[in-house]
Amino acid sequence: MRDFLKSTKFKVLLGLLAFLVGIMIYAVTKGGYAVSGASVINTLTKPFRAVSNGVGMKIENTIDKIEHAEDYYEENQRLKAQIGELNKQLTDYEDLKEEVEELRKFVVIKEEHPDLVITKPAEVLGYVTNDPFKSFTIGLGSEDGITPYSPVVTAEGLVGITIDVSAHVTTVRTILSPDLSVAAVCAASGGDHGVIEGTVLTAAENTTKLTHLSPDNELKEGDLMITAGNSGLFPKDYSIGTVKSLGFESNGLSACAVIEPCVDISRLSSVTVITDFTGKKEDSDADQDAP
Amino acid sequence: MRIKTPREKRILYFKTTLRWILYYLLILLSFIIMTSGTWMKPILLVPAAMCIAVSNGQLASAFTGAFCGMLIDIACGRLFGYNAVILAFFCALVSLMFELYLRPRFFNYLWITAAVAFAQCWLDYKFYYQIWDLADIQVIFRTVTMKVWLYTMISAFLIYPLYRLIDRLLLPKIHMTLEEAIRTN
Repeated sequence: MRDFLKSTKFKVLLGLLAFLVGIMIYAVTKGGYAVSGASVINTLTKPFRAVSNGVGMKIENTIDKIEHAEDYYEENQRLKAQIGELNKQLTDYEDLKEEVEELRKFVVIKEEHPDLVITKPAEVLGYVTNDPFKSFTIGLGSEDGITPYSPVVTAEGLVGITIDVSAHVTTVRTILSPDLSVAAVCAASGGDHGVIEGTVLTAAENTTKLTHLSPDNELKEGDLMITAGNSGLFPKDYSIGTVKSLGFESNGLSACAVIEPCVDISRLSSVTVITDFTGKKEDSDADQDAP
Repeated sequence: MRIKTPREKRILYFKTTLRWILYYLLILLSFIIMTSGTWMKPILLVPAAMCIAVSNGQLASAFTGAFCGMLIDIACGRLFGYNAVILAFFCALVSLMFELYLRPRFFNYLWITAAVAFAQCWLDYKFYYQIWDLADIQVIFRTVTMKVWLYTMISAFLIYPLYRLIDRLLLPKIHMTLEEAIRTN
């Protein structure tokens, strides 16, 4: 021991300790800032520490997972159930929102046409397979008060007419079909009238055609065509579509126009059926004049 | 024909029932596909009915054809029974042809299906479009009738293996006595 205390090694050790104490005192005087040596060390070791810390954390996490696996599993199950419940609530909310939107549309119909008796919104079940005129089926039928040749509409405008009514399903012929003729009049002028009837070519473009138009008509592009209501099959003043382009028939005797329906008939999700309206033709008459 | 034991009879009865259940499940699946969406679709029920007619008797084929035809009528919004008549007739005819003249091979099935599907599409065009003499009606033939026929033919390639699989697993093998085999050949 005495030899050690007398040795140079001990003296160097003391010197080192003194140096360290000196550093310590110096550090105290820096007022919170690291001494330059520490700063260099920090900078140099930073990436290694980061990696090391990452590895360490991973190991800790793994151990933690193993250690608390059961707790986590239970928590996971609880959260899953919670998510399921929330998703269900969200779905219900979306359904409700959709329903409210649909009902709002039909409130508009009732507000604008108080004389109309309409059904509840009918879901479009599907389009008739490969029909170029976009006929479709709806989920309401005779049990819901629907009769053949009742107008089918949305809040935006006329869609077509019911043609094949069963107890719970009805087929709708659209205004794109050449088999459906609707007397129409220009909403703006009130004087220009004609018959809206689909054609093979216009149906391919999701449009329909206004025929039997006077050659000296005053129609212009963008004019809204509404139902004339004189056939007794359609209510008066219901929107059909706007004039897309004007022209003449091949015989040159009358003018015609391509009409863009107010409703996108190729993408319907729900419609409503007008079961009664002012000026409706009686069933027996309607059968005779079926479009 | 060899006399069957009661156990063989039971197995035959079970297999036949299961086969027809699977046939009709595939038919209903085809119907559901046909009535979904807004795109132009093949008339899946025609190749399906032909597949059944290839390996079954005339009566069963005709009934199945009629059922498939009714489903086509519903899906395509046609007069109920119109396609049923057409398909019942063709199914019985095809079944007879395969029994008497043709071997149940894919190529034979393909050309028979092509012919029947074309007849069905052409009759549909004639009675539902051309007869009304509408303007530009030939556009329908080009853009709808021929397209549907083509899609139907493509679908025939997919439908055939499904029905063949059912037949391979569940269709009873015909056992002939030596005398019958000699007489047949």
